[in-house]
Amino acid sequence: MLACLAVSLSAVVYPMYVIRPFRTQGARELAAALVVMRWRPAITVISAVLALAMLACYWRSQLRRWRRVLAAVCAGLVCLLAALARVNVYELMFHPDARPAFRAASQVKLDGREKVIAVKIGGSARAYPIRAISYHHVINDVVDRVAIVATY
Amino acid sequence: MRLTFHLAGINNQNFLMRDEETGTYWQQINGLAVAGPLRGRQLTLVLSDELTFAAWKSEEPAGTVLSDVPKYVAGYARRDWDVRMKRAPTVIDFPEHGLKARDLMLGIQAFGASRAFLYDQVIREKLVKDRVGGEPVLLVVGPDGESVRAFRDRIPGVDGAPDFYRMGGNQAGAGMMDAATGSQWNFQGCAVSGPAKGACLERIAMLKDYWFDWRNYNAKTSVYGR
Repeated sequence: MLACLAVSLSAVVYPMYVIRPFRTQGARELAAALVVMRWRPAITVISAVLALAMLACYWRSQLRRWRRVLAAVCAGLVCLLAALARVNVYELMFHPDARPAFRAASQVKLDGREKVIAVKIGGSARAYPIRAISYHHVINDVVDRVAIVATY
Repeated sequence: MRLTFHLAGINNQNFLMRDEETGTYWQQINGLAVAGPLRGRQLTLVLSDELTFAAWKSEEPAGTVLSDVPKYVAGYARRDWDVRMKRAPTVIDFPEHGLKARDLMLGIQAFGASRAFLYDQVIREKLVKDRVGGEPVLLVVGPDGESVRAFRDRIPGVDGAPDFYRMGGNQAGAGMMDAATGSQWNFQGCAVSGPAKGACLERIAMLKDYWFDWRNYNAKTSVYGR
């Protein structure tokens, strides 16, 4: 049970520790953190299933109430970590624009001095105001039937 | 395969994206896959401009603009966000060429070389004639005095250096003329009158970035005027 808790905790905390703003990321630790991030949803679910199975066995074999409660708390924490492993902290800070909408330039009320990132593909011209894209950071878009990602 | 990207992390203050189809992590500045199944692959760069809305709208009146998401507008950046961010700390620094970590640069990767231009210097000079990887290039400030584009300094079909200069000196809004053909050119890099009318200069992709970030991904970069 404690091993499950340690594995899940490491899978959640290590990438958060390495990949956090205003901290230098070394190449090797970043690579390790990204591997952990990629696999942690599966790792933490397996860990949670194992923890719940162990809790069931423990509940039947241990008669002392405090031991049962301690095991249940541990299993609960492992399940909580499995849920946390699916949370994208960066998208909590900078909410994505999942369904970007666009308006004709003539209808947009935007200060002429505002900066935009502009692309032109085929005959279609698109502008992404920096005030918005510097918040969302990533816009998945299709311009003139070409799929692009605009990022700032 | 079409990929859908999400903001997923940060690498020395340059964002990482993750695509939901393969789970690959991509570096924002260069579109390189740094981890995951597509590691080593590179996204194709789409030529883009950073312009004032007025300059863009005057060129593309039929264009479309990303709409605000009303519930997040309160969190949107104020104008001159990149200038305001100059006060923010950095986690890496390259104290070279007398540059500060958050000096705003215009970076070009072309012709086998990378070269950076201090944004404020380009704005002051209005028309920069330089070389990147031995190839002559032009950096031109737009009529708004803030937008900048880069071009290859060669007129298609004309031998030799065109020798561009600004008409009306360094005033905002001034167009360009080339000494080789005597043609007049606009901010889009196209000849609007004279013998070369209709010809357009080749655009060069350029990235506006902080010095620390540009230098971090362009270790061999040279710097204009330094």
